[in-house]
Amino acid sequence: MSFFDDYNLKNLENLDLIAKQVVEGFIIGLHKSPFHGFSVEFAEHRLYNQGESTRNIDWKVYARTDKMFSKRFEEETNLRCQIILDASSSMYFPHISEASSRKLNKIRWSSLAAASLMLLLKKQRDAFGLSIFDDEVRQHTPVRSSTSHYQLLLTYLDRMIADGRTEKGTEAAKSLHQIADSIHKRSLVVIFSDMFDRLEQPEELFAALQHLKHNKHEVLLFHVVDKAREIEFEFDNRPYMFIDVETGEKVKVQPNDVKEIYTQKLKAFKEELHMKCLQYKIDLVEADIAKGFKPVLESYLIKRKRMK
Amino acid sequence: MAFEFTDTNFQETALDQGGLSVVDFWAEWCGPCRLVGPIVEELAQEYDGKALIGKVNVDNHPEVSMKYNIRSIPTILFIKDGEVVDKHVGTATKQALTEKIDSYLS
Repeated sequence: MSFFDDYNLKNLENLDLIAKQVVEGFIIGLHKSPFHGFSVEFAEHRLYNQGESTRNIDWKVYARTDKMFSKRFEEETNLRCQIILDASSSMYFPHISEASSRKLNKIRWSSLAAASLMLLLKKQRDAFGLSIFDDEVRQHTPVRSSTSHYQLLLTYLDRMIADGRTEKGTEAAKSLHQIADSIHKRSLVVIFSDMFDRLEQPEELFAALQHLKHNKHEVLLFHVVDKAREIEFEFDNRPYMFIDVETGEKVKVQPNDVKEIYTQKLKAFKEELHMKCLQYKIDLVEADIAKGFKPVLESYLIKRKRMK
Repeated sequence: MAFEFTDTNFQETALDQGGLSVVDFWAEWCGPCRLVGPIVEELAQEYDGKALIGKVNVDNHPEVSMKYNIRSIPTILFIKDGEVVDKHVGTATKQALTEKIDSYLS
């Protein structure tokens, strides 16, 4: 059974429903609730002092021992999480037409993953915000944890999926700098991007990632790829017209002629990205859109646990 | 089993013997104490011979609790050579307690 059968992807309009399926399924799969320890926890009994609110008095203890104790709870540590989505044209690859059986491209996959993550955050009462960029920052919301905020962000995601304009470039470096400055320090920053931003000059991008770390953010970077086509370059050996969706440039090539050099260059870039992320202590996760969202939620939970 | 401190034996065991004593103040009806209880039991076994780790039932032994002004339970006191050197109020993880004990033993 393919991954796509798991979710009712026909109703892609209903991001909320799919996010719920993903999150609930994920939680059931874990067997153990991941929320343990996140919510408000009963930590101690304290002698009741006159004048204190009676709301927290443990009446059962009073009935049993005739002593007044209030229950005290551990303070909830709220996490602020900014989800950053790359909405440049390359993220709309592969192209989805009405007729094709394919249901997910990179942007849809990332939106679903982001929606699932937001739902998980909302359940844990953590605050989340959303930033969308292509050649500039298109959307940037503050962090909140309310249901209405979640619904609002879903409409932004919906709007973004529907916007299939081509030739939107990527200014990841510039946008990340801008976002890094505008969010609260010590946030968790989750980025979904294919990182196709001037592969020849990655320094700017790395500087932007370093900027995020410099502001004491914890960064989780999902490198979203269509592995079969973009990494492995699996195409039939017949002439193809490749179009750069961000610039409109067209090249006609025989896939086998360029496969080697393409995969080599991409591998080199991936290695460099990997090394830089290690250096800056950024968690890099390669997210293949042909696979499920589980790695996304898992990586987040691991990161969350480490941040406690 | 963790050592059971009482109003009568507290002075001679926890204070006069010297070394490190870890005292967990608890009560049967207190939920968070029941979370900490097993951790204290484990620690008592692990640090057997190195530190005296035990419990005081605040209902049965109110004098000790009064003396140290215990107003919240669970409270864990770290007593070194007769002096209270540290205090932990509320639930605690085993790791946090182990770290504290190790730091006072070294």
